[in-house]
Amino acid sequence: MIAIIFAVLVFASVLFWIMGKFNNGPQVQELKTRTKSWWIMAAIFTIAALVDPAVSFFAFGFLSFSALRELSSISKNIRTEDRSIIFWAYLAVPIQYYFAYMGWFEPFLVFVPVFMFTWIPFVLVLKGHTKDIARSMSVIPTHLMFTVFSISHLAYFLSLQKLSNFSVGGRGLLLFVVFLTEMNDVFQFTWGKLFGRHKIIKKVSPNKTLEGFIGGLISTIVAAYFLQFLTPFKTYEALGAGLLIACTGFVGDIIVSAIKRDFGLKDTGNAIKGHGGILDRIDSLAISSPFFFYYTYFLYYS
Amino acid sequence: MQRIVLFVVYRLIMRPLLRFVLGIKWDGESDFRRYKQFILVANHNSHIDTMALMSSLTLKQLQNTHPVAASTYFGKNKWLGWLSTFFVNTILIERSHEGNGPKALDVLHNHLQKGHSLIYFPEGSRGKPEELQSFHKGIGVLLQQNPELNYIPVWIQGTGKILPKGAHLPVPFEATLTFGKPRQAHASNVDAILDEVKNALLSLKTN
Repeated sequence: MIAIIFAVLVFASVLFWIMGKFNNGPQVQELKTRTKSWWIMAAIFTIAALVDPAVSFFAFGFLSFSALRELSSISKNIRTEDRSIIFWAYLAVPIQYYFAYMGWFEPFLVFVPVFMFTWIPFVLVLKGHTKDIARSMSVIPTHLMFTVFSISHLAYFLSLQKLSNFSVGGRGLLLFVVFLTEMNDVFQFTWGKLFGRHKIIKKVSPNKTLEGFIGGLISTIVAAYFLQFLTPFKTYEALGAGLLIACTGFVGDIIVSAIKRDFGLKDTGNAIKGHGGILDRIDSLAISSPFFFYYTYFLYYS
Repeated sequence: MQRIVLFVVYRLIMRPLLRFVLGIKWDGESDFRRYKQFILVANHNSHIDTMALMSSLTLKQLQNTHPVAASTYFGKNKWLGWLSTFFVNTILIERSHEGNGPKALDVLHNHLQKGHSLIYFPEGSRGKPEELQSFHKGIGVLLQQNPELNYIPVWIQGTGKILPKGAHLPVPFEATLTFGKPRQAHASNVDAILDEVKNALLSLKTN
């Protein structure tokens, strides 16, 4: 299985490298950075598979933390008095990932939406700066939802119990959703470049076209068909998962685009110099992973 | 001995910590790697600034580079003074209007004569984030006395959010140190040099 992943990655890297020789525009650069992040994901995955799964919990936790830090840094909606409150928000990361690591499903499920959604407003109130407090009360927990709660579902795949007739296990599901989400981005982009005419949401993301979206959707469903060996799904369930991932990935993508537009930024940070930030890498995943997680959970694990 | 300690503290411990936990980025720092003597001139918002600048130095540069700090602040007691001299390599000077020890600029000038480098915050103390306060004259005088000396303007953005003046708990936020090209002062009088340095710093801000 690992051999397949690396074969695909080598193929993608070589393809984009050749494309870059002919036309090294910002879009090809974008594809290259995406492949780079896949390499990192693949490396983490391989280390986790060969050494110790705890490594991946740590890696995903760090990803959540970096994304939260980036969002807190670029946000115009956080007041200077909220510094210490942001510290509490960061503390939610190790706790949420500890629950994921231990496989404690109920605490994992309620910690952010029930506990942190109360705790953040509570400590804000204790601080006592009431001017614009309502804005901080809604923005900080929402950041947690988007960067910590959602991404932690990727880690929880590794804690799912073993099914008797499905030997690949949670690792396969994790790989399935990460791969399809990233591929969907590239498919949408490529189809949009080739046939894009009708813009979907011109004001937010001028590159998103209906043709790109439909093309990406169909390609992702086809890819889901071929990757179903990573999942316990029946064929029609795998196709449904492809549809779900394509749609939710698209939603995540345009949400981050809209946020960037609001803050007047093109890229959300500079994780790697000259490239986009971490949020740009995980935008689609932040929405597709919890949706796919519960899709799988309701079908096979509940 | 101190050289090894400084290397371990800054390159091996501090730098990864600043980078991965606090979210600090260094931009353009490689330009002054090969310089033996220089003055790093930066705006000042946080204690993190000194740590981040020290973490950008090479093993060779570390031992002979001294952040300049006020003795009234860091020399408050012996213990703190020793710590900041040993681990931060600080030169403690008295602000011009306090005390009657050796003149601060003479002390700094002597270090420069020995071939040492300085980390210098011309605003004197930590100001409001991202706002440049007026400069103290010192940097202008030093650059006038040493016209061959290279200075490197460094604009520090965002550290005032991580650990502002008066705060004790660092909170991770993204911050960037933008290094300008090493250069020498062209003007000959102190005020003109101060303007030069100020403009060099501000020109990095917009990028």
